[in-house]
Amino acid sequence: MRAWLFRISFSHLAQYPGRTLLGILGIALGTAVYLSISLAAASALQSFQVGVTAVAGQAEWRIQTPGAPLDESLFVKVRRLASVAAAAPAVESVLSLAGVHRGPVLLLGIDPFSERPFRDYEFAHAGVLSDTAWTEVLTRPDAVLVSGPLASLLGLKVGDGLAVMVGPRRRALRVAGIFTSRRGLYPLDGAVLLMDIGPAQELLDRVGGLDYIDVIGAGPPAEVQKRLQEALPPGVEVVRPSAQGSRTEGLVASYRLNLAVLSAIALFVGMFLIYQSVTLSVVRRRREIGLLRTLGMTPGQVLLLFLAEGLASGLVGGLLGLGLGVGLARGVLAVMTQNLSSLYMPVAAQEVGVQGGLLLQAWGLAVAATLLAAYLPAREAARTQLRAVWHREELEEIIESKAGLIFGWGLVALVLAGVGAYAKINDGPPWPGFVAAFLILLGFALFTPLAARLLGQGLQPVLRKILGPAGDLGCRYLAGAMSRSAVSIAALACALGMLIAVTVMIGSFRQTVNDWVSRAISGDIFFGPAVFSTAAYDQYLPPEVLAELRQDPDVADIYLYRCVRIPFKHRYILVIGGSFEVLARHGGLWFRQGDTRAIMERVGRVEGGGEEEAIMGQGPGKKDYTATMSHDDNRKPETENRKPSVVISEPLAETLHLQEGGTITLPTPSGPQTLTIAGVFYDYRTDGPSVWMDISLFRRFWRDTHLNAVRLYLKDPARVPQVQARLQERYGDRYRLLALSHRDLRNGILRIFDETFALTYALEGVAVVVAVFGIITTFLVLIRERERDLALLQAIGASRRQILGMVLVESGLAGGLSFGLGAACGSVLSLLLIFVINKQAFGWTIQLHFTPAIYWQTLILVLTLSLAAAAYPAWRAIQPHLAAILKEE
Amino acid sequence: MIELVEVSKVYHRGPEVIQALDHLNVQIDAGEFVAITGKSGCGKSTLLHIIGGLESVSRGKVLLDGCDLAQLREPARTEFRRDRVGVVFQSFNLLPLLTLEENVALPRVLQGASYDQARQEAAHWLGEVGLSGRQGHKPHQVSGGEMQRAAIARALINQPAVILADEPTGNLDSVTAAQILALFSHLHRQWGKTIILVSHAPEAGSAADRVLRLADGRLLA
Ligand SMILES: Nc1ncnc2c1ncn2[C@@H]1O[C@H](COP(=O)(O)OP(=O)(O)OP(=O)(O)O)[C@@H](O)[C@H]1O
Ligand SMILES: [Mg+2]
Repeated sequence: MRAWLFRISFSHLAQYPGRTLLGILGIALGTAVYLSISLAAASALQSFQVGVTAVAGQAEWRIQTPGAPLDESLFVKVRRLASVAAAAPAVESVLSLAGVHRGPVLLLGIDPFSERPFRDYEFAHAGVLSDTAWTEVLTRPDAVLVSGPLASLLGLKVGDGLAVMVGPRRRALRVAGIFTSRRGLYPLDGAVLLMDIGPAQELLDRVGGLDYIDVIGAGPPAEVQKRLQEALPPGVEVVRPSAQGSRTEGLVASYRLNLAVLSAIALFVGMFLIYQSVTLSVVRRRREIGLLRTLGMTPGQVLLLFLAEGLASGLVGGLLGLGLGVGLARGVLAVMTQNLSSLYMPVAAQEVGVQGGLLLQAWGLAVAATLLAAYLPAREAARTQLRAVWHREELEEIIESKAGLIFGWGLVALVLAGVGAYAKINDGPPWPGFVAAFLILLGFALFTPLAARLLGQGLQPVLRKILGPAGDLGCRYLAGAMSRSAVSIAALACALGMLIAVTVMIGSFRQTVNDWVSRAISGDIFFGPAVFSTAAYDQYLPPEVLAELRQDPDVADIYLYRCVRIPFKHRYILVIGGSFEVLARHGGLWFRQGDTRAIMERVGRVEGGGEEEAIMGQGPGKKDYTATMSHDDNRKPETENRKPSVVISEPLAETLHLQEGGTITLPTPSGPQTLTIAGVFYDYRTDGPSVWMDISLFRRFWRDTHLNAVRLYLKDPARVPQVQARLQERYGDRYRLLALSHRDLRNGILRIFDETFALTYALEGVAVVVAVFGIITTFLVLIRERERDLALLQAIGASRRQILGMVLVESGLAGGLSFGLGAACGSVLSLLLIFVINKQAFGWTIQLHFTPAIYWQTLILVLTLSLAAAAYPAWRAIQPHLAAILKEE
Repeated sequence: MIELVEVSKVYHRGPEVIQALDHLNVQIDAGEFVAITGKSGCGKSTLLHIIGGLESVSRGKVLLDGCDLAQLREPARTEFRRDRVGVVFQSFNLLPLLTLEENVALPRVLQGASYDQARQEAAHWLGEVGLSGRQGHKPHQVSGGEMQRAAIARALINQPAVILADEPTGNLDSVTAAQILALFSHLHRQWGKTIILVSHAPEAGSAADRVLRLADGRLLA
């Protein structure tokens, strides 16, 4: 019985190959997009995790100072502790290759004698690495060991030279040997260099400093940590090496979640296709169902019959989607690694790891989606009363009578969405916001039947006047064929809504960033090794360059900039030291409240300031500080007033619920420091929330004199091109330094912005393609089913023009309605995305900028598509074989 | 006057060739009441559709008042179907979406009449076929016979000279069938319509001026 039943279903699928195929394709596309995003994200993260694990090796504890080097002498102290079984010092930095290949490469400076218990197992394969290699590494300052994968990528062999960029400088290294990892675990997809720690410190300009000390404890872990902490000076942390990995995951979690949710939209639209396909099949087979039920088929079997039909599409579409998704994942990964690298951290994943779990998940999702979509019409079919003849018009009447009720449910969905939008979340992903977004889509989809009816009925008299019977009948068909067309209209409306919402959101965001660059970033020239990639915290401006810039006759003012990334409450934040006294003069930073100048002066007023100038060996600045400080309100002795001030970015304030006037306690190499928050400024950098303080304060806490970049303010801003050219000429060859004008900076920032949202656009595109499939099938099927109506109309004297006109009126109205609902839905959704989801996920305040272009563009697209989708089958239907069609039953 | 000259109609069903009409010669005068009978599949409907301009011939000519139907361009054919013939089909007759009244009014509307005018006329013709009071119903809400009568009302609304009816009494009980036949006779006598009626019923034969017997696409006797 079962097998026979399913054969009936499959023969139906085969009978309408076009419709079946489009349904399957819709599901396949949705699945493919979802899978490719999740595979790529997993691969990128895994590549990063592998790097973390490989570097951590057997280490149980890691000793480090947030955002600052450790004093080398600590190593000896740590190793001598009774609770320490083994310890190994390391410096590390991500450099870039300076040859034909320009990718990132991780340089690890290690102590070969301490390494054995840690990473020896991973890195130094005894059989491969000869003793002479080790000797060379220990004796030659430029000797490095190159990882097997990198060596084969670059075609390196022992004795070859290898050029790398260390910050702005080009350095020549020599390949002393090639190492492999027995478990195949490498950071950065294998781009790793090993070096003896001494030369590495010198190469990286960190003599006397360590990035971390790895420790294997002796005794119970809690005890080990306690002993270590006691022995170390304040500001030094003892953490688990794995903490780094989970913080990184937190960093990219929102990025990943956004993409995952967006990619699920295509699948959601695909569900409509399946729903519609099964509904059509139920409608078409109503007589068959009646007959089968009369012959003794149970309602359960009817349900099964149609579920099987949906399931078949889901299984096949899902499978197709898996193949397609794996294929797409490579491309997605390329875009994603680029995004992640420019936003968060160097990622070099190239290979997509095909994870069975993710495949299964995507497939399961596809099958579940189709089953859910097929269930509703299947249940409708199963409930049908036992009756031999079953008129479609009765079904239409049922739906028509329920249109109001369905609309009511739509309203309920919107109200719930409103509740979700106002729900406060404390931490973690903005789930209520996403649920609200889904409810908004659902709400507008549920408005469709009533809207179609009202539109059809409302326009009928008008179009009848203008277009005659064609307009009249077109409206009637729109209002009267809802069992078939409403779902497609709803699907298209949802896809368009998403497209419009995301476009408005991105457009607003882009405009906001653009305004922010002009308003909140001052300076004529941005100069340094790391103007864009804030991920490169250890790329420094050579000190001698600064000295020369100070003598430059064109330069009026110099703003110094130093940035470190520190772990803070389960996430990373940036701590930035800048010359606030310069900012106070020239502006820059856009505070959400308070007087900009007053805030800047308060932050720039640092007791014992001028340290910076002392360090840089430049005298005159000191006077300014004392001058500023003398304004201090009578120097009250209260500690409150003594607390230095900082400003924090809006995302930090939002995510940690901090406010102007409050305090923040930062871990610094000089121990925890409680700082007053003088202001909260708008900030749209994507690499993390940030705390800004005066550079002299930063230097006092971090005991660090490096600079990552400077901003130059020229005496004559019109001379930017000349000065830019001069800087490039003077330093371009010696160091790799970038000199960008304000406009270059803005363009660069917007380019990164556009790259970041390229995937988002692609995802939206796919959802629209799926919806377009829906519209095409709807009209193909709708018109085909109506061939007899059309033939009858012709037989009683309707002209071809009238018939085509009628079909075009109907499809035009359907397209127009999709657009109308989509535009309304999209506008509401864009507000949600801008003011709720983005705010909750990233803490950004985005100014709303409507982009009218997207509205008329989608209107034209939709009208053209729906008219074309209907015109073709209608044209075929009015070709002369009327009688044959009329005779068919 | 309707004149069929050496008309053949061939259908292809895959490799199979079906000769639905075979060198048929028929003349029907204006105002004549002709009944067509014959076994199932002998070509009755085909003949009717060809006369109604719904189907083209494979060979031969269909002349309407001396003018070749095949020579007409599509707009003229449409006008012909709309204004000069009224067709009642064997089974599928009414648009399911429209009420009986709207179905009946449709040819009038297509002709360009105002909606109110068409509605009024439709109500009148529905009354003529005994369906007054049911004009607001949709086809699936009425019986087969009522549908058939509504179809007749629709065939009449544009007051065509020729009425083609394909087994209009096929699904009906004998009383209703007799009523409908009486309606056709009335139209024929009172209004001088040309009526071509396909029917197996012997009563049809007696009501008609002439009976054409078809067998395998040919005229008998
Ligand atoms: N579109 C078509 N394609 C192929 N064959 C057809 C087509 N229409 C009719 N025929 C065949 O042509 C022949 C004549 O058909 P027609 O419908 O004229 O018969 P009929 O006399 O009206 O029969 P009935 O009394 O059953 O209605 C039949 O054999 C039929 O199978
Ligand atoms: Mg017939």
